[in-house]
Amino acid sequence: MRFVTSLFVGLSAAVLLTSCGAGGEDQGTEYAPNMYHSVAYEPYTQIVDEDAGRWVTSIEYPDGHAEYFNSNKFNPSRMNMREPAANTVSRNKNGWLPYRLGKDSLAFAASHMKNPLDSTAEIIASGKALYEMYCDHCHGPKGAGDGKVAAGVKIDGVQKGNYNGVPDYKSGALKDISEGHIFHVITHGKGLMWAHGSQISPEDRWKIAKYVKTLQK
Amino acid sequence: MSSDSRFVPLVLKTDTEPNMIKHFTSTACKFFTLVLVFALISFNNYAQEISKDPAAINAGQALFNANCKACHRVQQKLVGPALAGVYDRTPSIDWIKSFVKNSSAVIASGEPYAVKLYNEYNKTQMTAFSSFKDEDIMNILAYIKAEADKPAPDAAAQPTTGGGGQPAANAGLPSTYLNVILVGMIIILILLLIVLGFLVSALKRFIDQKTLTEEDKEVVHPTVTTGSIFKSRGFVFIVVFLTAALGFKAVINGLYSVGVQQGYAPKQPIAFSHKIHAGQYEIDCKYCHVGVMKNKSATIPSVNICMNCHNQIKTGTITGDAEIGKIVKAYETNKPIEWVRIHNLPDLAYFNHAQHVNVAGVECQTCHGPIETMDVVRQHSLLTMGWCIDCHRKTDVNTKGNAYYDNLVEIHNQSKKTPMKVEDIGGLECSKCHY
Repeated sequence: MRFVTSLFVGLSAAVLLTSCGAGGEDQGTEYAPNMYHSVAYEPYTQIVDEDAGRWVTSIEYPDGHAEYFNSNKFNPSRMNMREPAANTVSRNKNGWLPYRLGKDSLAFAASHMKNPLDSTAEIIASGKALYEMYCDHCHGPKGAGDGKVAAGVKIDGVQKGNYNGVPDYKSGALKDISEGHIFHVITHGKGLMWAHGSQISPEDRWKIAKYVKTLQK
Repeated sequence: MSSDSRFVPLVLKTDTEPNMIKHFTSTACKFFTLVLVFALISFNNYAQEISKDPAAINAGQALFNANCKACHRVQQKLVGPALAGVYDRTPSIDWIKSFVKNSSAVIASGEPYAVKLYNEYNKTQMTAFSSFKDEDIMNILAYIKAEADKPAPDAAAQPTTGGGGQPAANAGLPSTYLNVILVGMIIILILLLIVLGFLVSALKRFIDQKTLTEEDKEVVHPTVTTGSIFKSRGFVFIVVFLTAALGFKAVINGLYSVGVQQGYAPKQPIAFSHKIHAGQYEIDCKYCHVGVMKNKSATIPSVNICMNCHNQIKTGTITGDAEIGKIVKAYETNKPIEWVRIHNLPDLAYFNHAQHVNVAGVECQTCHGPIETMDVVRQHSLLTMGWCIDCHRKTDVNTKGNAYYDNLVEIHNQSKKTPMKVEDIGGLECSKCHY
């Protein structure tokens, strides 16, 4: 009988332990949880529940929050990230200053902005790689405006929505645009294309402009 | 496709309305074409009639596809208006020419029709096609007119697409039938077994009433019954052993699952599907996860990146505008979307995406699994230390075209014959990830 009891205990332990695993909504059991959660503010591992981890809290925080809470109450939406202070200027390692022409200065940008990069094979190759990351799915691999997002896709006989209005780079109106024009449009958008300045750094934008010119030949 | 139906009345109207030019040209077609060609060549100013010459239509089609198709269709409103009947509804053919060549100048001049159009289309300005000659524009108009006068092709096309969809739906039926048949057969088999059992016991009772020899009795009532097998030592041992072994395995598995979040697939505030975006539309992962080449974190896209496409694509094929509407709302109210983090690497370990994706050139799928097939993202890999180390032991360092590694490779090749693994350049050092 003792054997049967120990068997029963073992089995129930096994059943209990299987509930430690993660799956679906369940995050599973954490081992050494107070080493898992960052006490410092982290932009992407943010815990907004002030009572999270009360059971491991050993320090008395002045505002009474529990161990895991790491959100900044003074920021908008309790975010840990903040926009840079007004009038601060970000500079990259090459000393580039931010592009300051406004959205409405397209004509000026087109005629005055010069690409600071040379047309080396290396630059054009990295422009191609960047084009494939950021542009290809709308503008198409050859810039014909036939990317999958623009043209839409057909799945199981159902036509999925598409983004109309993507032009052909070789069309009469666009064939002769300058690299400055391309740079400005990537930064601020034009017509139906929205601004991509937040996603692509200025240097990468110039590289893409170089590559787009090769597509227009 | 829903937007099409809204404009069907408009299309019908242009089709059914008595059209003077159409009427006239159809009766005196040949004569008129001659006159037109002549007029086009000699007096450009009087060439206001739209050609029916196949050459002009073909030239117009090529120009239309290269330049106009992005925003215009003949029968359907897209970014710009449907162009069927544009030659009738606009003030004049000359107006069309000047508008195409430089729409902003026409709008700036305060011409009422241009201003009305500009306001009607949310102040979207048409690209200036200053390189077009008058002849090009006339060719495009010829193509538009030829297309518009065709008997509505949409009506003919729709039944075929509908028919194309039906067989696909029917293809699913046989498999369900098969399942039903299978279940039915199993039920019949079980019933048969029960009936047979009854028959056996009835037969036994019938035989028992007769006088039998010892041998026959043993056949009817064997000494080794299922009951005696269950009670035998061997059987009990096998059962206990199997239960204990399975239990032990379950305990070990359970212990190993502590602190491992593989399979975690939380519900997100917006039912975003990677299957649609990365799989079907083939949008590059890096388009949205912009930090992956430069930062520790791959970054979760901000709402403006969603809006790059969803300013225009406002209805999804699965959830309609319910889910996409949440993005638009977040954008309009300037409230961040609180996505649930799936890959929770413990704070005690450091991981950098840029080093793995940009420098080593590791594919996203190597660690995140077939993301492009997931409607709901789940943690694919273990993300345990053993898992990290295993990869660092097996993987060759991507030294190609990276001058940083030149000296290291040279030193490595002096002492070892095997390619340089991550392990060889300190990929197993504790303080690389724990500090």
